[in-house]
Amino acid sequence: MEVGPSTGLKTWEWRNQGISLRLVQRLPDQTRAYLLARGFPAPVADEVARACLFGSMFRNDGRKPLDFDLNDWRVLHDGQVGLMMTRERWDERLAAREVPKTGRIAFHWSLLPTRQHFEPGDYNWGMTSYGLPPGSRFDLELNLTVGGEPLRAVIPGLECAPEKLPEN
Amino acid sequence: MRKTLFFLLLLVTMPLQAIQPGKGLTEVPGHPQAPDFTLQDIDGNIHRLADYRGKALIVNFWATWCPPCRAEMPSMERAWKKERSNGIVILAINVGEDEDTIFQFTADYPVTFPLLMDQDSEVVGPWGVRGLPTTYVVDPAGRIVYRAIGGREWDDPELLDKVRALLPRQEAAKQ
Repeated sequence: MEVGPSTGLKTWEWRNQGISLRLVQRLPDQTRAYLLARGFPAPVADEVARACLFGSMFRNDGRKPLDFDLNDWRVLHDGQVGLMMTRERWDERLAAREVPKTGRIAFHWSLLPTRQHFEPGDYNWGMTSYGLPPGSRFDLELNLTVGGEPLRAVIPGLECAPEKLPEN
Repeated sequence: MRKTLFFLLLLVTMPLQAIQPGKGLTEVPGHPQAPDFTLQDIDGNIHRLADYRGKALIVNFWATWCPPCRAEMPSMERAWKKERSNGIVILAINVGEDEDTIFQFTADYPVTFPLLMDQDSEVVGPWGVRGLPTTYVVDPAGRIVYRAIGGREWDDPELLDKVRALLPRQEAAKQ
């Protein structure tokens, strides 16, 4: 884990066989600003912003193809095993809320794809969401397929960004 | 409050040089026919995929809020300037945004290839795109030959060689 010297935000990076997943905390205010600018009503923007989002950079710089399905990943928090908030779960949760279509489309596409196939050299950036309150600590269990073989790994000690960083 | 403003500023000024481009083009098995579309660009011109038969096409799906999409735009512009007279066409299809948003984007990223709008995200689905940016290379017969997920340096000679190789010999011989 590293802490941005100028931002104070924490970053975790997992690497294996040339594959890397980098998770950077997103302050709720960052997500609120993004969603409000796209027409989300303030209460909806607040609900999403407080659901523990990370900026996520997932790359395959290895030699084998990589497949993942976020539905197979697990959020280990406080003795409980939970699921990530994927695009589809957010679409369902926000279906009855008053959000403009352009805002829905932007939010949908700005989340990391739920399922993806990366050939060597491919990558995606996107937000990932874990549905936990600000400041929560959790472990993330990854389940991938690399070159046709299953790969399980755990990133321990992730922390959702707090509502506000302490003032210096 | 000052810290919040700092982070908002950080969000919009995230240094693009920090984005390491992806590498290479993946051949798409079976070279399926590219799904046709009819879309308007930000200048009001209509573009139909079928009208580009005989050209090698680079079809890029993107959005203004997507950092890797922004990062690859300058190299795409350089590739366009270099190859547009050689039978290679670049079409960048924006997903879900309006022309005002895209127009503002062009103030910071002055590109001259067509920027098409898929405002209802109806075209992006049939192409099989899961994340932005995703780019396809379509041969002169309208078949998808290559795919790249994530940004690339589009003026990379090795990458452009693969696109040029799709053109009929007389087009390629002009270079």
